[in-house]
Amino acid sequence: MSTVLNVEGLHKFYGNLEALKGISFQVEQGEIFALIGPNGAGKTTALRIIATLLSPSQGSVTFLGHDLKKEPEKFRKNISYLPEEAGAYRNLKGVDYLEFMARFYARSASEEKEFLARARDIAGLGDRLKEKVGTYSKGMVRKLLLARALMTKPALTILDEPTSGLDVINSLEVREIIKRFAREGISVLLSSHNMLEIEFLSDRVALIDKGRILDQGTSAELKDKYRAPNLEVVFRSALK
Amino acid sequence: MKKFLNLLTKEIRELMTLQLVISLVFTFVLFYFIGQLAKSEADRAAAPQKIAALDLDGSDISRGLLQNLRSLNYVIEPAAGADREAAVEGVRRSDKNFLLVIPPGFGEAVSRFETREVETYTFMRSFAMSAVRNSAVFRAVISALNRYLSDEFLKKRISEIPPENLKNPIKSKDFVIIKDRQAEGSAGDIAGFVFGQSIFVPIILMMIIIYSSQMVISAIAMEKQNKTLETLLTVPIRRSSIVTAKMLASGLVGLLSAVIYMLGFRFYMRGFTGDMTSGAEVSQVIKDLGLVLDARGYAILGVSLFFAILCALALAIILGVLAEDFRSAQSLVMPVVFLVLIPYFISFFSDIKALSLPVKIFILAIPFSHPFLAMQNILLENYQAVALGILYMVVVFIVLVGLAARIFSTDRVLTMKLRWGRKKVVL
Repeated sequence: MSTVLNVEGLHKFYGNLEALKGISFQVEQGEIFALIGPNGAGKTTALRIIATLLSPSQGSVTFLGHDLKKEPEKFRKNISYLPEEAGAYRNLKGVDYLEFMARFYARSASEEKEFLARARDIAGLGDRLKEKVGTYSKGMVRKLLLARALMTKPALTILDEPTSGLDVINSLEVREIIKRFAREGISVLLSSHNMLEIEFLSDRVALIDKGRILDQGTSAELKDKYRAPNLEVVFRSALK
Repeated sequence: MKKFLNLLTKEIRELMTLQLVISLVFTFVLFYFIGQLAKSEADRAAAPQKIAALDLDGSDISRGLLQNLRSLNYVIEPAAGADREAAVEGVRRSDKNFLLVIPPGFGEAVSRFETREVETYTFMRSFAMSAVRNSAVFRAVISALNRYLSDEFLKKRISEIPPENLKNPIKSKDFVIIKDRQAEGSAGDIAGFVFGQSIFVPIILMMIIIYSSQMVISAIAMEKQNKTLETLLTVPIRRSSIVTAKMLASGLVGLLSAVIYMLGFRFYMRGFTGDMTSGAEVSQVIKDLGLVLDARGYAILGVSLFFAILCALALAIILGVLAEDFRSAQSLVMPVVFLVLIPYFISFFSDIKALSLPVKIFILAIPFSHPFLAMQNILLENYQAVALGILYMVVVFIVLVGLAARIFSTDRVLTMKLRWGRKKVVL
């Protein structure tokens, strides 16, 4: 497998506050890599930097050989980002929203159609796509946004708390979709509070707290290392 | 370009909501309705007034008075009944609103140069605008009666001199000079004509600036409130294109809103003032003085308005970044509104040249002042002042757009909030 994303010694300062204290990790092609940690650990900051929303204070981020500071537009062409509290334009119909987003990535009309067909399949909203987003439930919006994030088959998808606020059934569906796309070669970088979800989804995990990565590896490696039955106990042990 | 048009179309669709369309249509219809109502009231007031008259004197003088009122386009009808009470009762039951009672002995007293009272009765059937207008009717009637009687007296006593020459021995011949041009006419008439013709320019400008600014601030605030901004900033399109699309869409929707609003407002104003046309005499004076905007004048004014709108949009987009949600966006429009209202009122009520130097500098530092002043300066051929104003607005626009583009290309677009300098950070 080839490395898609390489993060080295990443620091981020907000004034005097150091949100990231030199984190490093790599994401391989077709891999699901998870950042887990409590609120305020720096997960969202790290994801926002890689998504080109924030600029790093120190360190480097390279994606498919492109440097974030020098070529952010290369990142934007091949990365899709789903923020934790993302929404869609309430006055647009679901299908119009997908069309609007697809047009930024499609190089031809046929490719746009291909993206839309894939998005319809992922969202699974049927005729509800013809209705305005303002009428959707939270779960429906989340599925629409996930469809938007995956429809272009980006080289890297960044998902911040992908099942945030979803019920059990919707969460399960979303996890299966993520797994399916990773099997097709898409790399996924995600963050979550939900350790069970991470254990189910991810190939490798980084434990992050107060802007530092405490440890990283596969779930099995970490459980073995900390002699823990699950990732929650692993995290508690790593904190100590 | 394809991506930019995609974004621009989305921005326009987001702004042109059903609520906005309904609100614009409602405003237009409301203004039109009020204007028509006021016009019909004004037409009614301008029509010949019916006055019931009870002449208890019956002298030649009283009859002459009533005849004189008829010649002045009043419809004088004899009141029903032989006495005051019966006449009042008769008019109360009729559709007339006015009763004039000439008391017995009126003619005899007046011929002895004694002042006598005539009684006027106004029947107030409502407190609407028409009732206010009714109050002026008898003032005009009494004034006409006094003029008639005094003219009659003067004719009898000094028959060789026309009464008008005795009452107004001095007449004036008025000239107005503007720059190197001179024409015969009244300064008041000319000022009124120019004011009437140019009244809509500052109002349109104010409307467009306020509407467009509100649109652009709301557009960014809505992106933040609906949590769509982060996603939009990660799509492969330049940040400057996002800024431009938002400014352009807001400018277009703001312009449309202002035009519809102004059309409604024009109907409204016409209802109160009638068509702002003037007599051929004043029009000729205006032409002689060169106070007519030609194609070049309109073009210069258009350029001035255009850059003022661009400045407003650039300022609004920076203010929009500070907004956290739609509600806070409403209050962030206020600085723009104040910056527009200050020159708006000053251009209406004052001459900027007459202001003190610090106030003048303050006014000229506001970019929106320049199009307000441009109309007068173009008419007075002060093209240098207009050009300097446009140049200043171009500089302000470049600085503001540069600042907006910088904010949008850095973390500040997500981290800037109106929290008096503190930043809210999501880790």
